[in-house]
Amino acid sequence: MRPFLALLVASSFAVAAWAQQSSGPVLPPAELAKQEQLRSVQQPYNNAPVWQNARGGVAGYTSIPAPEAGVLIQDGGQNWRALRNGTFSIIGGWSLVAMMVLIGGFYAWKGTIQLHEAPTGRLIERFTLLERMAHWATAISFSVLAISGLILAFGKTLLIPVIGFTLFSWLAIIAKNLHNFLGPLFIISCFITFCIFVRDNLPKAVDFKWLASFGGLMNGKHVPSEKFNAGEKIWFWGGLMVLGLVVGASGMVLNFPNFEQTRATMQLANLVHLTGSMLFMLGALGHIYMGTLGMAGALDAMKTGVVDEAWAKEHHEIWYDDVKSGKVPANRTASGGNGGPQQPVAVGGND
Amino acid sequence: MARMKFICDAERCIECNGCVTACKNEHDVPWGVNRRRVVTLNDGIVGAERSISVACMHCSDAPCQAVCPVNCFYKTEDGVVLHDKDLCIGCGYCFYACPFGAPQFPQAGAFGLRGKMDKCTFCAGGPEKDGSKAEIEKYGRNRLSEGKLPACAEMCSTKALLAGDGDVLSDIYRERVMRRGRGGDLWGHATAYGRADSKPAGAALPTAPAAAQPAAQKS
Repeated sequence: MRPFLALLVASSFAVAAWAQQSSGPVLPPAELAKQEQLRSVQQPYNNAPVWQNARGGVAGYTSIPAPEAGVLIQDGGQNWRALRNGTFSIIGGWSLVAMMVLIGGFYAWKGTIQLHEAPTGRLIERFTLLERMAHWATAISFSVLAISGLILAFGKTLLIPVIGFTLFSWLAIIAKNLHNFLGPLFIISCFITFCIFVRDNLPKAVDFKWLASFGGLMNGKHVPSEKFNAGEKIWFWGGLMVLGLVVGASGMVLNFPNFEQTRATMQLANLVHLTGSMLFMLGALGHIYMGTLGMAGALDAMKTGVVDEAWAKEHHEIWYDDVKSGKVPANRTASGGNGGPQQPVAVGGND
Repeated sequence: MARMKFICDAERCIECNGCVTACKNEHDVPWGVNRRRVVTLNDGIVGAERSISVACMHCSDAPCQAVCPVNCFYKTEDGVVLHDKDLCIGCGYCFYACPFGAPQFPQAGAFGLRGKMDKCTFCAGGPEKDGSKAEIEKYGRNRLSEGKLPACAEMCSTKALLAGDGDVLSDIYRERVMRRGRGGDLWGHATAYGRADSKPAGAALPTAPAAAQPAAQKS
């Protein structure tokens, strides 16, 4: 949690500093023009009023038809440079390292959490083919985006000394293009995943009980949960939805510079994108750990779609009870529904 | 060793755009890119209108160089900031960081996909062999290696735009300020070269005869 908080605090300071620095013009341009007219009589060659607004982002006239061509000095870039090269990279990079160390430590302490009871051999369908496809489209595009983003952010420091300028440039070109083209795809798959899983992720009272003991992860005590436990629900709302929106929207501002957005917008979007993606990657590290090394059977569920009854009972008891009582069909693909009470007619699928 | 700089004297710039045209012509600059542009403040307001020609200022601590993810920028012995288009990935970070709007990108595809960055080279080409075909195609002519100064300044009809060794330029500008009697503000210098470097021009102010013979000795 600490790296999360540190990054959050840092970014809020950064945004506050940003708001202060880009204060805009000192005086209205018309007022300064009047002052200059006076000066040109009283103190010839003293042009101070002309230049007073040059840093405020006030555009003059230019015959060059490019966006912001009339702006002489855009001073936000200096703040962006300091924050992007300094605060954000340092806190973001080290919190990723810290998270990996934490997870490594946790694995050394607990190892893979095994099933306590023997598998029954009876299978329950946990994820339909469509659900798994949506999940893996999101997961694969996320991973490629994360790795290519890390190459672009930290390659200058970490990779150029090792592989040299030319090879790294090739790698960065691949990374940039993958990042730019997979970005929109990631947003779409996030949206589809959201629509598919939203019903099972609505918060319930039992989630707070689960959270109170962190799912029994520390003390090993059993806490019943629905199809998705509170941890998964937090990842769904905070990660997939909130961070997906933040990172997606800021990414689109940067991805399509052809809407004449100003440099100030893009500088801010980049910082938002950095903060959001760092938090996203920190969360993903935890999610990937629990879905692979941390919990036996979790990866198989997302790979094959089915889980053993013993696994369902141990990890998602409320959901297991619903399956047993017939509220949720054990084989949803065959019964044509999408979980929940069986619908007599299911046209159009999931969303 | 020379430290190459630009000076634009706002008292002399007449917004003819000769520098812009000279640059475009000299280097066959890509479509949509202008390495130099003239900006007029208070356009049309009598007594308050001033024009400035602006391009890459070849900063001492260049923001473009600092943020480039592939480190494609380098500085020549003369303090000229150049970049290697073979390494450039077209990410746009230098464009976010630069206060002067110097780095620009020819469009390489739909939706504003950026090509290799292009900016003023102080007529000093790129990393290729001086005057080679590859250098001319990517960066334009390398006039410095031919012993010439940047085309924009050479072409300036009023000698408002000066390019060359910063010390020589300072002397020229200081003399102008002395003759005028006042007005030593050099646009963009504090931003590009830091406070220390703007001393020569600033230092000229107190010693200048304070408006003793105002209009008579205009230069």
